[in-house]
Amino acid sequence: MSAPVAPPEGPVGTIHDLGYKRYAGSRLAASTRWRVVMRNQITTSWKTWWRFKSSLALAVITTFIAGGVMFILNDKVVRDFAGAAASTMADAALPKSIEWYTRAGFLVSLTIGARIVSGDLRSGAFTFYFARSVRPRDYVLGKLGGMVVLMALISLAGPLVLAFARLGLSQDTGQLLATLHLVPKAIAIGLLGTLVFSTVPLAFSSLIANARYSMALWAAYYLVFGWMVSLLGRVSKSWIGVLDLATSLDAIALDLFDLRLFRGRAGHLDPTLALISVLVHVGVALAIVSFQVRRAHGSGVGGAS
Amino acid sequence: MTEATPLISLSTLSKRYGNILAIDRLDARVDGKIIGLLGPNGAGKSTLLKALLGLIPYEGGARVLGLEARTHGAEIRDRVGYMPEQEAFLAGMSAVELCTYAAELSGLPHTEAIQRAHSALYYAGLEEKRYQPIDTYSTGMKQRVKLAQALVHDPEILFLDEPTNGLDPRSRDEMLELIADLPERRGCAIVLSTHLLPDVERVCDHAVIMHHGRLRFVGSIDELRGARGRDTELLIEVKADAAALAEVLTAAGATCELVTLVTLAVSLPTSATNELVFRRAREAGLQIRGITVRRESVEAAFLRVIGDAPAQDATP
Repeated sequence: MSAPVAPPEGPVGTIHDLGYKRYAGSRLAASTRWRVVMRNQITTSWKTWWRFKSSLALAVITTFIAGGVMFILNDKVVRDFAGAAASTMADAALPKSIEWYTRAGFLVSLTIGARIVSGDLRSGAFTFYFARSVRPRDYVLGKLGGMVVLMALISLAGPLVLAFARLGLSQDTGQLLATLHLVPKAIAIGLLGTLVFSTVPLAFSSLIANARYSMALWAAYYLVFGWMVSLLGRVSKSWIGVLDLATSLDAIALDLFDLRLFRGRAGHLDPTLALISVLVHVGVALAIVSFQVRRAHGSGVGGAS
Repeated sequence: MTEATPLISLSTLSKRYGNILAIDRLDARVDGKIIGLLGPNGAGKSTLLKALLGLIPYEGGARVLGLEARTHGAEIRDRVGYMPEQEAFLAGMSAVELCTYAAELSGLPHTEAIQRAHSALYYAGLEEKRYQPIDTYSTGMKQRVKLAQALVHDPEILFLDEPTNGLDPRSRDEMLELIADLPERRGCAIVLSTHLLPDVERVCDHAVIMHHGRLRFVGSIDELRGARGRDTELLIEVKADAAALAEVLTAAGATCELVTLVTLAVSLPTSATNELVFRRAREAGLQIRGITVRRESVEAAFLRVIGDAPAQDATP
């Protein structure tokens, strides 16, 4: 216990005050706070080039290349090695571009998604949030919403642009109507990619209070574990390969657009099982994030007594 | 705040973590401008703060600004500012960005939030440094940012958890000056949770003392000091014979204790004033060189209150 200290004789600091007035206006409803969290998530992610802009650039390049292929090699027919399947480049460009959007999405999930909750856990940000009228669901919804918006710019916007580009290549109204189905399909595969890369890395980031470790864990799951289960699935000819998220997304895309060419690893997967795997991943990830944030909320302020 | 609505009122408030009773049947009405929340580690201060912010379930009642924390937690947190002991910043943000974000999270519109962020940071003394990333700040500057983010949404009560921790003496003085200025200038009450009793002595007008999850004292600092806080406790220095003065004052009903040959500790009867001392000394022909009103330090009073004596009735 330290000895009493006599107060200083005169003021030691300067009180700066520009003229204070109590805030008399209305406050935004508590149910809208998640939007503030979401907006901040987007703003923060946009700040540095390597977190988001570099991956967005990859998605834009993919769109330009795939769009260029569509226009330049419009009617060129490609066949597989056996000659059993064929497609025009205009039809193949969109489904084949999905794997590149998936790569860009993974990069963003690594540089942003896998760091979000772990970074907040480490920096004490939970205290910052929960000492205010922010509920755990506002936090989760806000962070998730921010990720969804960012990810949609990559996983959804690109395929959608290409789908419209494909419609633009139609020779007549009949062909336009025949290819109109590409739009909802591009939206569907874009939304799936957006959901996967928004939720699953967020769950990994909520497991460890160290951003580097959570990034490493997510990368190991997506790349190493994904490659292993994919190999295992091909060797054992079993469903286990659907646990590889990248290949599952690819398989769903190729099936949606009915492309029989260049299927690679995705050719061994049942698209229905792949879809189930993706949805289960999303569901489990949401449950993990919600549970972890709620748990942290209970002990987030003031430390242990 | 009306008289009928105290800042904080507790009624048989208890919180149990498994087998551990963190706070045990707290009953109190707490008011004041700057209230010191005191207690050793594990006393239950943090648990009490969490309960008051509506962050943990509890038994009994805990009302802040007349609102029950269990059911109106979000509303209370909009009207209360919290300055945590540990760092609670968001990586990569400047102080202005952090405070603007904090104000928006508390429901202020964006434009108002920006204005209030600048005002709060300027008030906290950050001036031009408010544009720099917080990661580059010194400990003192970080404490100021924590104070500003707690203030920015214009709260009616501020909960400050160890606000002077880790500060050098000058920064500590400046922080205490800011804290002491807040009730007058911003019209908010302050609950100051701290281990540094000199800080409490300097800025607080009321105190809440907790020990082993129970309230040991709730009341003003003067009441905490008890009888020794009154002006009837004197230390008298005489020119020659303190024992002779002790004799005449004892005869007048005072309690005297010889400290040195020329110094006397005197406890006057409740109704008596210094005039009694001067009159008796004059009558006895003794010359008084100085009279000091003895005040027990908050630290001594705190140690007395949390001593091994059984818990007192918490209400003043």
